[in-house]
Amino acid sequence: MSDTAAAHEAPTSTGIDHKKLIMWLFLASDCMFFGTLISTHLLYRKLYPAGFTDAEGHQRFIQNLFNIELTSFSTFILLMSSFLMALAVSAMHKGQIKSFRRNVLGVIFFGLIFLGCQVFEFTHFYHQGLTIQNSVLGSTFYVLTGTHGTHVAIGVLWLILMYFYSFTGKLGGHMGALDVEVAGLYWHFVDIVWIIIFTAVYLVEYLGPNGIWGSGLPAVAK
Amino acid sequence: MFSRFFSRVGLLAAPLLAMIMAGCSKADMTVRQSTLDPKGPVAQVQYDLFMATVWLVVILFALVGGLLVYAVIKFRFRAGDENKPAIVEDGHGNPLIEIGLITASIGALVIIAIPTLSAIWYTDDVPAESVPTSKLSVWYPRIEGTRENYAKAVEEQVLEVDAIGKQWWFRFEYPQLGLTNDAKHSIPNEMVIPKGVAVRINLRSEDVIHSFWVPKLAGKVDLMPGRKNHMWLQASETGHYYGQCAEFCGDSHAYMLFRVEVVEPAEFAKWVQKQKADAAPVAADTKADKGKALFAAKSCVMCHNIGGHYGAGAFAPDLTHVASRKSLAGAWLDNRDPKAQLALEQKTNNTESSVEVDPATLKANLIKWIGSSGVSHGTDGKPTKDVKPGNRMHYYKMFNVAGLNETNQKFTAEELDCLAEYLLTLK
Amino acid sequence: MSHDSHHAPVACKTELAPERSDLGLIRPDRSTGLIDWLTTVDHKKIGILYGAFAMFYFLVGGVEALAIRTQLARPDNDFVTARMYNQLFTMHGTTMIFLGVMPLSAAFFNFLVPLQIGARDVAFPRLNAFSLWTFVFGAFVLNASWFFEFAHLAGWFNSFEWHKALVYTDFAPANGWFSYAPLSGTFGQNGQALRFTGVGTDFWIIGIQVLGIASLAASFNFICTIINMRAKGMTMMRLPVFTWMTLVTAVLIILAFPAITVALIELMFDRAFGANFFNPSSGGQPVLWQHLFWIFGHPEVYILVLPAMGIVSEVLPTFSGKSLFGYPIIVFSGAVIGFLGFAVWSHHMFTTGLGPVPTAAFSLLTMAIAVPTGVKIFNWLGTIWGGRVRFTPPMVLALGFIWMFMCGGFSGVMHSSAPADSQQQDSYFVIAHFHYVLLGGVLLGLMAGLYFWFPKIFGRMPNAPIAYIASGMVILGFNLAFGPMHYLGLAGMPRRTHTYHAGNGWETWNFVATIGAYILGLGVFLAFVNLVWTAFRGKKCSNDPWDGRTLEWSLPSPVPEYNFAQAPIVAARDAYFEDKHGGKRIGTENDGGEAGVHMPSQSWMPLLASAGFLFAGFGMPMMAMGIPHAGWIVISGLGVLFIGIWLWALEGPGGYMLKTPAASGTPAPTETVAH
Repeated sequence: MSDTAAAHEAPTSTGIDHKKLIMWLFLASDCMFFGTLISTHLLYRKLYPAGFTDAEGHQRFIQNLFNIELTSFSTFILLMSSFLMALAVSAMHKGQIKSFRRNVLGVIFFGLIFLGCQVFEFTHFYHQGLTIQNSVLGSTFYVLTGTHGTHVAIGVLWLILMYFYSFTGKLGGHMGALDVEVAGLYWHFVDIVWIIIFTAVYLVEYLGPNGIWGSGLPAVAK
Repeated sequence: MFSRFFSRVGLLAAPLLAMIMAGCSKADMTVRQSTLDPKGPVAQVQYDLFMATVWLVVILFALVGGLLVYAVIKFRFRAGDENKPAIVEDGHGNPLIEIGLITASIGALVIIAIPTLSAIWYTDDVPAESVPTSKLSVWYPRIEGTRENYAKAVEEQVLEVDAIGKQWWFRFEYPQLGLTNDAKHSIPNEMVIPKGVAVRINLRSEDVIHSFWVPKLAGKVDLMPGRKNHMWLQASETGHYYGQCAEFCGDSHAYMLFRVEVVEPAEFAKWVQKQKADAAPVAADTKADKGKALFAAKSCVMCHNIGGHYGAGAFAPDLTHVASRKSLAGAWLDNRDPKAQLALEQKTNNTESSVEVDPATLKANLIKWIGSSGVSHGTDGKPTKDVKPGNRMHYYKMFNVAGLNETNQKFTAEELDCLAEYLLTLK
Repeated sequence: MSHDSHHAPVACKTELAPERSDLGLIRPDRSTGLIDWLTTVDHKKIGILYGAFAMFYFLVGGVEALAIRTQLARPDNDFVTARMYNQLFTMHGTTMIFLGVMPLSAAFFNFLVPLQIGARDVAFPRLNAFSLWTFVFGAFVLNASWFFEFAHLAGWFNSFEWHKALVYTDFAPANGWFSYAPLSGTFGQNGQALRFTGVGTDFWIIGIQVLGIASLAASFNFICTIINMRAKGMTMMRLPVFTWMTLVTAVLIILAFPAITVALIELMFDRAFGANFFNPSSGGQPVLWQHLFWIFGHPEVYILVLPAMGIVSEVLPTFSGKSLFGYPIIVFSGAVIGFLGFAVWSHHMFTTGLGPVPTAAFSLLTMAIAVPTGVKIFNWLGTIWGGRVRFTPPMVLALGFIWMFMCGGFSGVMHSSAPADSQQQDSYFVIAHFHYVLLGGVLLGLMAGLYFWFPKIFGRMPNAPIAYIASGMVILGFNLAFGPMHYLGLAGMPRRTHTYHAGNGWETWNFVATIGAYILGLGVFLAFVNLVWTAFRGKKCSNDPWDGRTLEWSLPSPVPEYNFAQAPIVAARDAYFEDKHGGKRIGTENDGGEAGVHMPSQSWMPLLASAGFLFAGFGMPMMAMGIPHAGWIVISGLGVLFIGIWLWALEGPGGYMLKTPAASGTPAPTETVAH
């Protein structure tokens, strides 16, 4: 079955499979997408270094809000999921479907842990007084990290469907390995984006006593 | 036949050029908002730069366009060509020609790039050169080379005007002279500046983006909410200048006009004093007196300020001197006699000359403006056509803001007349 | 996938038993009729559909333009209200750009790119169908706002509770095609999200978002196709210039559209959830919207122009009887234009108070972009030079393109000087400038393309005299309409104003412009009528009526569904032309014939997935209107999208083997000519 399919897949001019190429193109586009979101966040952080004002009218500094240990943990989990994803792709190339399933389950599990951390973090921040409505910081933070979370969720859904699909026996051979590899590309990309977000949104707030954006000066008025 | 006709496709440029030439008569170049009739150094620099680009472009256009027309005619398919070999040799490009043309285009662009750069800095903010040289020679030797002091010397020469944009009118304030909204002395829609003085305009918006454009005095700069923009201009001739909001700002964008009145410095001082004065008292038991009562009763006072009479309003145009202004309703309605103005413009052959306010026209405008702004109703129960759709008077009434609502805001024709009579006294 | 190997090669699809997908569902297999057009994965049919929709929306946008010009024909006119005028120019701009020019370019991409590179289809045929239908539904959602607006004006909604509660009652977008915040956004603190405009803006946001998805999907597909599916010997430097420009355009789309996607998401969050991205009362910076919009918006200009440049670069050599002068330079300058296109966005914002340093930088970069553009014009001139110019309708239009584009380019140089631009920005001078580029340039280029390739698409030749008359009317009317606008702008007339007073000196030329606009409108209508008539009734013509140069002319007209009976092998640029008139430059691979070529199967799933956007797109503005339960429409739309994509993934690509006229393979000579 897979052989006939491969036979119909005419050799490409570059030798790269169509599916892999189109995923690279999508990722190029997605780079611009996240680039725009991250720039929006950083521009506003530079413009309003002070943080935000919570419901009680207290000026809050963002360091007090972050739980950097938790976020570091979820970052580590996501990194490890990429490692498992690489193992899953490698297993698929070798035709070891059972090993593939084990690793993909691990990826899904780690992805869900990451999402759980994010849900916890959002709830925590919300109760601390940072909402999407009460400050520019809230808007940029939730939309940026939320968009990334959506990417992770789509990835998890994709892998879950692929996991169950593997039991139909139709996932195999060159084309099957290609499908898994493309999903892997996506997963690694989402992981890399998180490393950038983790650095640009979280870590820079810890550079020096008051973060890279300065001493929490009052926001620039209109 | 058709081919022959279209081989002259280049000739289509002829009507285009003819049109441009036709547009070049003197009168057409000096229309009210012409950018081709600069009356100050900023507009002059922009105009000169524009003309530099025009000449460059005309020369290039003549060269390239001429070659194109020549090539199309010269190398047209002729009888007998079908017998020649199909493949034409030597048609694949020539590196020397390519490099030469690229270099030439870069050279042509450098010609306009240099004055562009200097003009960008010149038009950005009031330059030091605007300080008279007589004063410079006094100041400069004594300044210990500090830029701050030098800048301060410039600052002292500059008149600051705050231009605040709102949907759909401008408010002008003169913080150095105490003419501000906080002091209840703001100037709607008609900016007055002295001749020959550098004016820095601080551009602020209270809602959406607007743009400040008086073509004869300076190019436009936007009023961006959340940003502190500024521009500068200086008028070299007295007169009445026409400006308009140049950034799309909602329903009535087309009605957001304003004027700039350039006067002699002595006259400017008088004008400032007048703006600070309160309105004259109204004689009792006149139509105007009745109108004054209506002004309070019908909630006009909630938004408008009339110095000496009512001082509550800070959101809407200040009406203390409404009857002395040459325009109404965001300068869309002209309070001058249109025929007299046209005759004067033709006589003096410039649009900067202006006749005085005509009370009859002003009264008609006031009735039209107040009566049609959704405040009163026509006989069929529907609002009459808005002079400015979406204006606040209408909008507040629809949603019962600031005491304006259906029951409160019905004027009879007589009441409208009294109100207009009252406003006419506010010289 | 598992079934196709059981199919023996057939001469016609109808010989096959109904094909079942991997899911066990019967796949559509009609090759004519409505179901065929709805489920087709054939790039040629998809191209024709793109073209048909684009031409329809060109006429819609044209009617909007004529309403605008009618209103401006005389001072203090009240043909339409202020708000209706604002809606008209907003929808005119949006329609012409997103529903007119872009899909018409996409029509050419679809039809021509596989033919020009010697391929049998695009890389992802079903994704291609998905792009088409997503575009169709996005356009539908955007234009549905007109339906709501007119229903509102007619009073149909008056009895509904949700209608009574509406504060702003504009249902069609009235923000301009750029939708600057905060006019399109919100004001007020702490998530009050008070607005300046009504649901028209929500229609615009979701409509553009959906259209963006369509463009992105199509662009991924085309880059993949061009890079990966070239025939043997078709090296990158032998690609026809049109294909090259398609590649550059697609790269621009995938890199530029994310900026507008994010901007639209942020604006949507502002309006729907009270976020503060562009809300000045809460510290949001409206200028950020302008940056994000123009980072997309300026490359968008080149997305519109480059395909037309590609078309002209095909038409000129054909009718000059010469190969393109300076092919590598033309290709390279196209790529440089694409690259520099990302570095000049702020020249749309010279008046926003950027400060002198950024203004100077963007001023210089803008001047720099004139160089590669000029290079193209020089090389087109070089192509004509020494040739034998035949004045066919496409050639007349292509020459018109060069001429008008040159005018637009020159006024562009005037804008690049920021201080001079501060007098021109947002005036009619700018309108004149970009209509010379986009209408005189792009539309003439696309019309040249239509007349050039119509004989290939339908095997019928458009009526030449009518084509000449229509072209003449378009060029004349266009210059009459937009030439005077240069003057109007210099005379201080701002754009986007629905009326003006007498006495400003603008009356005469506005009236002339309106007359010109009507001539132009009639000309375009006549040209389109001629084309539509040709498609059905036109005179049949030969396969290569123009003495064409590229591979598509080697095929029968109309092109058979398998494109190439045997896959071509090329040994030169303009291989077909050289093969005809010189030595042997084209060979064939030893495929096709009795063994057949692999054809992809039709599918309902792209249409189904796209339909999800239709529901979601309708539901969101309805939610904003406060219509009860509208949220369920959005959720069901997203559900349909998900199910569509899921079934699409599981049904498998399918396919069958189609017999082609037999011939044995003949490799092309490996030796090539100098270029």
